[in-house]
Amino acid sequence: MANLLHFAGIGKSAPAILSLFFALLCGAAAFGQVSVTGRVLDSRTGEALIGASVKVAGSAQGAVVGADGSFTFIVAALPVSIEASLLGYRTQELDVYEAPAQPLAIYLSEDLNFLNEVVVVGYGTQKRKELTGSISSISTESLRQIPASSVDNALQGNTAGVQVSQESGQPGGRVSIRIRGGSSIQGGNEPLYVVDGFPFYNNVYSAGVVSGSSVNPLASINPADIESIDILKDAAATAIYGSRGANGVIIITTKKGKSGERAQVTYDVSVGLQRLAKKIDLLNAHDFAILRNDALYDAYPDRGKYQYLPQSEIDRLGDGTDWQDEAFRTALVQNHQLTVAGGSAKARYAISGSYFGQDGIVRNTDFKRLSLRANVDAQVYDRLKVGLNLAVSRSEARVAPGVGTATSAWGNSFISSLLIMPPTATVYDADGGYTLQNPFENIFANPIASLLEQDNRTRSYLALGSAFAEYALAKGLTVKVLAGATVNSNKEYSYVPGYIYEGSFSDGKASVGVADPYSWLNENTLTYETGIGEKHFFNFLAGFTQQQLKSESLSAGASNFVNDYLAYNNLQSGAVILTPSSDAETSALLSWLGRMSYHYGNRYYFSVSLRGDGSSRFGKDRKWGTFPSAGVSWAVSNEDFFAPAKAAVDDLKVRLSYGKTGNQEIGSYQSLSTLAPVSYLFGNSLVTGFLPERLPNKDLGWETTYQADLGFDAGFFKNRLSLTVDAYYKRTVDLLLDVQIPWTTGYSSSLQNYGSVENRGLEVTVNSHNIKGVVSWHTGVNLSLNRNKVLEIGNSADAYISGSYLVKVGEPLGTFYGCVTDGILQSGEEAVKGVFTGNATPKAGDRLYRDVSGNGSFTTAEDRAIIGSAQPDFIFGITNTLEYKGFLLSFLWQGSAGNEIINANRQSLELFNGQQNAAASAQDRWTPDRPSATIPRAKLDPAPVFSDRFVEDGSFIRLKTASLSYTLPRRAVKSIGLGNAKIYLSGQNLLTFTRYSGFDPEVTSGSNATVQRGADAGVYPIARNVNAGVSITF
Amino acid sequence: MKKSTLYSIILGAAISLSSCVDLEEAPESKQSADNFYQNGEDAISAVNAIYRGLNEGTGQSLYNSLMQIGTEMATDDYEAGPRARNPHVRAISGLTHDASNDRMQELWRQSYGIVNRANVAIDRIALIGPDNISDALRRRTTGEAKFLRALAYFNLARWFGGVPLALHETPEALYVANATEAEVYAQIIADLSDAESLLPAPAEYGEQDAGRATAGAAKSLLAKVYLTQKDWENARKKSREVIDLQWYGLFEDFADVFNVATKNGKEHIFSVQFKGYANFVGNCMAGRSAPTSDEVPGVNGDYADALHAEGGLYSSFGDRDRRKAVTFVTEMVSPADGQRYTFIPHIHKYYDPAAVGDQYNSSSKNLPVIRYAELLLIYAEALNEEHNGPTQEAYDAIDTVRTRAGIPKLEQNLSADQFRDSVFQERRKELVFEYQRWFDLSRRGAGYYVATLHAAGKTAAAPRHVKFPIPQRELDLNPSLKQNPEWRK
Repeated sequence: MANLLHFAGIGKSAPAILSLFFALLCGAAAFGQVSVTGRVLDSRTGEALIGASVKVAGSAQGAVVGADGSFTFIVAALPVSIEASLLGYRTQELDVYEAPAQPLAIYLSEDLNFLNEVVVVGYGTQKRKELTGSISSISTESLRQIPASSVDNALQGNTAGVQVSQESGQPGGRVSIRIRGGSSIQGGNEPLYVVDGFPFYNNVYSAGVVSGSSVNPLASINPADIESIDILKDAAATAIYGSRGANGVIIITTKKGKSGERAQVTYDVSVGLQRLAKKIDLLNAHDFAILRNDALYDAYPDRGKYQYLPQSEIDRLGDGTDWQDEAFRTALVQNHQLTVAGGSAKARYAISGSYFGQDGIVRNTDFKRLSLRANVDAQVYDRLKVGLNLAVSRSEARVAPGVGTATSAWGNSFISSLLIMPPTATVYDADGGYTLQNPFENIFANPIASLLEQDNRTRSYLALGSAFAEYALAKGLTVKVLAGATVNSNKEYSYVPGYIYEGSFSDGKASVGVADPYSWLNENTLTYETGIGEKHFFNFLAGFTQQQLKSESLSAGASNFVNDYLAYNNLQSGAVILTPSSDAETSALLSWLGRMSYHYGNRYYFSVSLRGDGSSRFGKDRKWGTFPSAGVSWAVSNEDFFAPAKAAVDDLKVRLSYGKTGNQEIGSYQSLSTLAPVSYLFGNSLVTGFLPERLPNKDLGWETTYQADLGFDAGFFKNRLSLTVDAYYKRTVDLLLDVQIPWTTGYSSSLQNYGSVENRGLEVTVNSHNIKGVVSWHTGVNLSLNRNKVLEIGNSADAYISGSYLVKVGEPLGTFYGCVTDGILQSGEEAVKGVFTGNATPKAGDRLYRDVSGNGSFTTAEDRAIIGSAQPDFIFGITNTLEYKGFLLSFLWQGSAGNEIINANRQSLELFNGQQNAAASAQDRWTPDRPSATIPRAKLDPAPVFSDRFVEDGSFIRLKTASLSYTLPRRAVKSIGLGNAKIYLSGQNLLTFTRYSGFDPEVTSGSNATVQRGADAGVYPIARNVNAGVSITF
Repeated sequence: MKKSTLYSIILGAAISLSSCVDLEEAPESKQSADNFYQNGEDAISAVNAIYRGLNEGTGQSLYNSLMQIGTEMATDDYEAGPRARNPHVRAISGLTHDASNDRMQELWRQSYGIVNRANVAIDRIALIGPDNISDALRRRTTGEAKFLRALAYFNLARWFGGVPLALHETPEALYVANATEAEVYAQIIADLSDAESLLPAPAEYGEQDAGRATAGAAKSLLAKVYLTQKDWENARKKSREVIDLQWYGLFEDFADVFNVATKNGKEHIFSVQFKGYANFVGNCMAGRSAPTSDEVPGVNGDYADALHAEGGLYSSFGDRDRRKAVTFVTEMVSPADGQRYTFIPHIHKYYDPAAVGDQYNSSSKNLPVIRYAELLLIYAEALNEEHNGPTQEAYDAIDTVRTRAGIPKLEQNLSADQFRDSVFQERRKELVFEYQRWFDLSRRGAGYYVATLHAAGKTAAAPRHVKFPIPQRELDLNPSLKQNPEWRK
């Protein structure tokens, strides 16, 4: 029973009350003199804290802490409260009720003021004050209240230098992240993620069976398990990741138990509602019918003005079908999380299980995740520590499907189709079946039928685990071996029944696919920490790592089923077997790394790192690359001469770094002369042929980024105000570029290292504790500017056009290239200005375009100009947190200024062809009676022209998150047997101020698109949501 | 467990892992040129891939509509239809195209794709050891590659004139200068001469190889090359040689030329193969010219390739001409409402009623590159030119074609000019929608081409239009390449 009698008060909770009861009951030792002995230890490292002070709370009686952190003193009576403190640590109180049978252990955790906070760097940790590089950290607190399916969804607005755009608002949808701008034209631009030491890219592995936007692989990791996120930005920080460091590194550390802390059981539950923030203003049935009549009359004037419907019928039409209302709904999101964490002196554990379920704001879409995590580590022997981080999860998503067109099975995005489906069409026909398709010339499927009847699902199992052993060879010298693996299995299902348009040609079409990426990692590192005298401190790291990624995929399908019952579960019953496919890919990375940090007298910090990477992805002669970096920082405020300024400035540190990093994200086998299979037909049967698909390039190597960073960290007013400023210059050379070569070679391009791009920028972060006391008010502001410029591309060209974009030397990536509108052709102007319409037979009401080339006429090919850019002037985030007693109110405002968006939805809605629905602006279109100067006439077959009309200001400021929480008073909680209880209410995207007319300005189509950024083409809109939750600790 | 044991396990694991990965790529899902081209089967598939260049992908590929919209639009027979939205196509139709015309660029790009595949096959098949490929197969596959390379260069020379001659696998030379037109033709003739001796007769192929290039195809194409070069004697000899071999003949019914059931029949010397709904590609020419849903509800053809009415092609067909009903359609029953609709003539040669649901893009009808009827017309034309007037054999040749069409024989005693006109008119009617018209007009010379188009109302036609401009992209990328003189600014 003795072990019950000295329950430590760190987690003051129910069993403590229980032990107090026992103490009173037994009470024997409560009289006379008692000797209390114990040790004061660091809660993170478990090391003795020399110089700590220990005293009896509320008295002057204290004890001296010895070199091993131990103390002893005699108290008159129990219980007592012992208080341990140390500068830089949080003061800890321990209630002692009974004379301890063994020495007490008091763990102190560091007081994480800005400069003392521990930052996770590559292959280790450092205190912020020791850093020479630029690293931003995000606390759990700012992530907790956002019910996001994945962690990258929660990064918006939280740090300087990180731009986050939504690729899809689909639950579990992907986001696109750029750290300090995009530097690659054709390679990857997404950062490297390192979860508990395991590096990976957030790449989608798909068997190609499911249509619509892809599910975010990172959504397999439960964001609630995350303790901290550190974002490595400059070369001094990222060069240790060598050939994968150029796009920045996001280090995710999951929650661990705490040494010497008794078990804490926490249950979190939250429930929320999500809604579409804004609908697009479209024509109703009545107005659409008039538009269609106009378009038909324009094309066939001899057939009269009412070719579609007579006026009497039009008058009866009313609003017709509001397709947006048919698709969008208020949707539920819920999250349950149970965590057990704690530790003894020698072992720590954190075990959690969670369920996250999010319905999409589009019907029949959702994302569900079940996850389980166990993080344990133990000091098994004095010198040996072992640990395991293991997470397994199962996630499932129903994805908004592609919508069939006359030429392609899933040619249109769901949202695009939804917007252009005519309001005169109905979801169901007179017989109660689905209306199959747009009844007019532009054939595409009924989007609601596609949405509700296509079974379009993905399911993913992920196991991510790493185990390590750390052995102290000698004082300060530690060897660590880590082995880990991610095992992922993604299965995709698609069934298109025969009674909807997409399945009507094939009596049902079923496909299943599996994609299984698997990666293993081994890291072996040696660290040595030593000091010479009192002022020289060294830290050495040397390591050898290897990682291999294998992925396989397989898909099969069949069509022409007897009925729709079996869906994809019995392919053999389909009368027609679709061509199966399989694929496999292996890549490997072999690396050496080293780092040396040295600091002198808490004033001068130096760090150099070097990594050698060998990658299978590159040409025979360029397998290995070397990536060095160096950083230096100077804590000016610790200089003697600074003492006079100390009153005003508490801390001032200047940092400077330079280094080289790489990017190898081009996929495998790109340097080889691989062959592609094709079919041909002889004797009316298929035969296979193989053709060379690319020129080999044995010199293919990394993209190399050189980055310089100059920054400072300063603290004012007893560090109540802190300021971090970084300026950087990044120059990426040897871009992995498909250099255009003459077609006479048989190829269009050859992947070469060619060209360069620069990014220059400035990042400012201010944190201020405006009011301290009973009412506490924090403000955090971050602001980032990035200027991107293409310096060189390909051999003989200084520009090339990629769809609606121009990649041009001197211009940034994401430059929009299109025609320039110049009003509307008015009656009587046909002969003079008709050549500027681009139409063979110009008519009044046609849109006029500027003759950019000045050759006297307009064509879309010749007369294009730069008409916008996806690059913002600056992005920012502002957080305000107010605390009063148990209440905490916080607001995150976030925004972007100066960027433009290609509103491709609008381009399609302003065709005014009467074949599909149109934007409400159609009401102001040119007609002979009401000649408009800005909006063209109805026309049955207009050529779609990308022009500045569809480029909109994408600037916005939004209340990204607002939350109010209340932590119940401890006394009240204790009285009902709980440790801690908190209730909260939060909302996302509650307010948005923007001139952008689309669904949402925080958008980008496609994945990984640096060149083609900032287009809004049928993107699933992100939701506005309100969330309520409770968090209880036992 | 003893500590020391544990430590040695950890250490052992670290050391044993130290050489687990190999940085040399050995693609498990990709063939690589370094380990392919080893035997007869490899040789066959290398050659199969060249054929695929004729109709690659589902988009506009050479013999699946690109030659129609990128070439034939610039004639008196066609114009860009109401649904031809691509301004480049409209430019060709209106003769306002320039060196940045994207369809002409595609003609160039896809043709050189065939050339490169053929170069790879020719070079690599030659290196296969004699133990791994039979002599007969080496000869056949090399012959097929040379035939296809010749076909690609023949098209390129007719479109662009003196184009670069790439004859070996890249990257031997990335930047090749123009050859002269004569050099290109010399190479075409050399390749076809090789091919006619290397390739087997049609009957020597098994049924499973129907559609491959044969000695007959090489000889026939060679006859056409000579004809284009106005080498009348050789054109006459070569076409006569094919006639005398008696490998080919005309179908009795003209409709059988375009029947799925009679594919690769006795009249077909060389055709591009199509098959809808077979994980392959259907002939989309049917859809391109079919009526729109405004004309026939529920049909929804593209109507991107329209007849150029002023050219007078349709009206030149007599009602007795059996080709008329096969070639054109003017009425249809609507699948939407069951009513019969009549409309202006649309071309209907490739319409495949068996292609259920998508008759217009999944047609299984082949596209003839050269067929016996054309060979007879080549023979007739060559004889007329060689003798400066038609011989009886020339009459017999053209009349065989006319008789099959159900129209009277040509009247006797025509002058050389009259007979020439008759042959060209017969070619026009017999071979409509088979990518022949522009080649015929341009080989008769700039004056004839311009006069014909002007007469048909296409008044922008100029002498330079008998050649296409070399694509601007190629000029930009390849400093050794020069624009055709007529197109220099």
